[in-house]
Amino acid sequence: MKTERTFLGVPIVKPKVGFFDLSSCEGCQLQMLNNEASLLDFLSLVEIVNFREGMKEKSDDYDIAFVEGSVTRADEEERLKIIRRNAGVVVALGSCACFGGVNQLKNRFNDLEWVKRQVYGDFPIETQEAKPISAFVKVDLEIYGCPIKKEEVEKIVTKLVLGQEITHPNYPVCMECKANENVCLFDLGEPCLGPVTRAGCDSWCPSNRMGCWGCRGPAPAANLKQLEKIAEQKNISKERLLDRLECFGGFGEAAREMRTKVEGGR
Amino acid sequence: MENKLQFVDLATSHGKKNSHPGIEHFEYSYKAEITNLYPLTKTEKLYQIQIVDPRERKDFTFQPGQFVMLELPGIGEAPFSISSSPIRHGDLELCIRRVGKMTNFLDRVKRGTKVGISGPFGTHFPVEEMVDNDILLIAGGLGIVPLRSPIMSVLENRSRYGRVDIIYGAREPLELLFTYQYGMWKQFDINLDIIVDKADDKWTGPVGLITEILQKRIDNGTPNDFRKKTNAIVCGPPVMFKFVCEMLIKAGLPMEKMFVSLERRMHCGRGKCCRCNIGSTYTCIEGPVFDYWSVLNLKEAI
Amino acid sequence: MIFKVFQAGEMETLFGLLSVNRIVGPVEKGRDVDGKPLYDFDVVYDFKDLKLDYGQTIHSAKNYFLPYRENLCTFTFDNGDWQKEVDFGADRAHVFFGLHSCDINALNKLDKVLMGNIYPNPFYGAKRSNMFIVGYSCTPTPSCFCHSMGTDSVLHGFDLFLTRMGDEYFAEVQSARAYHILERMETREPTHEDHLHFRKTTSKKRSLFTCEVDTSDLTKILDMEFESEVWEKWGDKCLSCGTCANVCPTCYCYGVEEEVNMDFSHARKVKQLYSCNLVDFAEVAGGHNFRPESSTRLKYRYYHKHRGFVEAYEESLCVGCGRCGNACLADITVPEVIASVREGEK
Repeated sequence: MKTERTFLGVPIVKPKVGFFDLSSCEGCQLQMLNNEASLLDFLSLVEIVNFREGMKEKSDDYDIAFVEGSVTRADEEERLKIIRRNAGVVVALGSCACFGGVNQLKNRFNDLEWVKRQVYGDFPIETQEAKPISAFVKVDLEIYGCPIKKEEVEKIVTKLVLGQEITHPNYPVCMECKANENVCLFDLGEPCLGPVTRAGCDSWCPSNRMGCWGCRGPAPAANLKQLEKIAEQKNISKERLLDRLECFGGFGEAAREMRTKVEGGR
Repeated sequence: MENKLQFVDLATSHGKKNSHPGIEHFEYSYKAEITNLYPLTKTEKLYQIQIVDPRERKDFTFQPGQFVMLELPGIGEAPFSISSSPIRHGDLELCIRRVGKMTNFLDRVKRGTKVGISGPFGTHFPVEEMVDNDILLIAGGLGIVPLRSPIMSVLENRSRYGRVDIIYGAREPLELLFTYQYGMWKQFDINLDIIVDKADDKWTGPVGLITEILQKRIDNGTPNDFRKKTNAIVCGPPVMFKFVCEMLIKAGLPMEKMFVSLERRMHCGRGKCCRCNIGSTYTCIEGPVFDYWSVLNLKEAI
Repeated sequence: MIFKVFQAGEMETLFGLLSVNRIVGPVEKGRDVDGKPLYDFDVVYDFKDLKLDYGQTIHSAKNYFLPYRENLCTFTFDNGDWQKEVDFGADRAHVFFGLHSCDINALNKLDKVLMGNIYPNPFYGAKRSNMFIVGYSCTPTPSCFCHSMGTDSVLHGFDLFLTRMGDEYFAEVQSARAYHILERMETREPTHEDHLHFRKTTSKKRSLFTCEVDTSDLTKILDMEFESEVWEKWGDKCLSCGTCANVCPTCYCYGVEEEVNMDFSHARKVKQLYSCNLVDFAEVAGGHNFRPESSTRLKYRYYHKHRGFVEAYEESLCVGCGRCGNACLADITVPEVIASVREGEK
């Protein structure tokens, strides 16, 4: 680690970072490469030493590891543990790494063998339940979103490099959605998880007139019971609500409970 | 284009009709330098902060109990009670615990760092009105920080006050603040009683609750004198000052002679952000120093 | 006060005269599931887009004078030192075309707290000093209770206030600049008949309110019911999402965050309007939260609006526009909350 800069007289080290992917679409990493305008600034903040999607060089000497994707195979579990050993700070990047993401939808099926046959046919691949990386290693920081929001990541990494504590917004997406003066999607007859989902995306989907799918997981004071009542009142079926709550895995236990209630009621 | 509305530039219209005097100072902060800093305990440091411009430094006046907003540019801004004597003007001392985003960074800066200071803000302990009377200062834990300014003020005007008592309680001896000054306070005729919840090997003083010492102080004085001549200044965690104030009331001290300093979250210090509101009272403008009667009327204050 | 009368058709002339400035007014933003139009304030370029007969907008117009996000200052770092630069964020005058009396009263209330006390806020003041307000008389919607809050008419704080009377508009003129604008239109002096017509129109409006709030002794009742269980009932419903504060024309609470550029050359101090219903509103460094439950946060909101502000300014901080209740997905409305708190007296 080189001490190159200071901020308010405090020496600031430029950390070496690596980007890694487990089971994922690699879209979060792509977000990091998007918007070339700020890429150089980002490179002044950190030294990237390992980023398969962005460069040829590869080094295992890194301070911060950004891990995208969930763990769905035994070899990924091993890779993750090596990354954990190498890195001082492990960051879960995006919904898959934080909650299991879209991948964890397969966990809903009781018979994983059946799933495998459906997906891979005669060429089965050894897979296990999709799990967030925190199920296997200690995670120091979670960056939410499917995909992550680059502007937010840049702010977070700046704070990380400055050695500041990282805090996420404690309010739900509604807060940002109202500040963006959007029409409420419930008024348009669409379900939306904005009232219960952690903000930070600047109401990305609702601002484009698409209801929130909860990719960032629950806000700290999420009132899911009330959301259920609201959906009922607006004639939005439990199944539609569950579709969203289950989609990224962030609402884990609460979604499972609701699912059990729905299926038990049948 | 005669229908074009004329733009009124508030930034330059200062002094003109309808403009508010000093409005451009809302976001103004004095450039100040951390001239020295030293650890008082494991988690608290004393910062000596000097307003850079000599004129601004001289013109900066405050009353004991008031606070400033300290800004670390790019990191954050937070309110801190002034711990130094008012006669030192813009040569401030702030005792700060490493506890949040801003103070964690502050803990890493070195002397010579430039910071921003705005204020002073809020109400103060009315030490001027306590002249000729006895003063009883009661502090629990970090509560000693806002009390150090009135203590200094009383020390510098010792002849104007009667009996002065400090009762100070901390969890353990290692958490005691300003230990290097206790001898001086005592020599200047202040009764200083210190009590800790938990002693360590070296501790020879009393162990227990602050209220035990307070009870002794109440019992030792003549009840009439205590009721008529004592002013109490109390600061500490809410549970502590609730018990203390109730004891003082029982001992006959009028509520308007008991003063407390409250701590709340603040983002502006100027009665705008509402973060420090208790019920609907702005701690930053109507506080942080309240008499106990006002506190009783504040819902959810204690 | 000076009054004028002009033909309804002249409204477009007025819009045209003012349109050399940026005009903010009510426009249609879409239709809800039942086909009902949804209105909000926006910049209006074409008179046809201006929907003066809107019932209520979703948001107030506050983003134009009390923005949801605002840069308070910029720091430039150089060689261990820094410079601070402040910009009040106003560079032109705005015309607000079609504000109802509730929203103008809301501005007057904001003036008291943001411009009136010992630290007048220049960020607000800079924008407030550059507003030309054309008020517009409304027809109460089912959720309007301004009548109960004493804000169904407005006495000052506008340039021009227009009331529709048949094919004409009755204009209250409150500024010289408004007077000069009207000089460029075809207007006439009102007759005694017009005065009577105006009074009939406003009293008809008053009769149309269907929603009431009993505010008598409310400050005391709120103190008496501080421990009431009704707060928990509402707290259970509350989503702690801040929607009520965001659509409110008088909510001004905020939070401040600072952020450093990636190259450490600059930093910004950003203000964001906050809401007392958000979970960390009263959390202090170190993690202690003075209002951890949604019920105490919701209660605080009512205390600030209906008790604290009344104590300080002898009027409520609520103008009865009904926006918070309309926008609240949990159906928490001011009239219902206050009625439930009062219920103890029956």
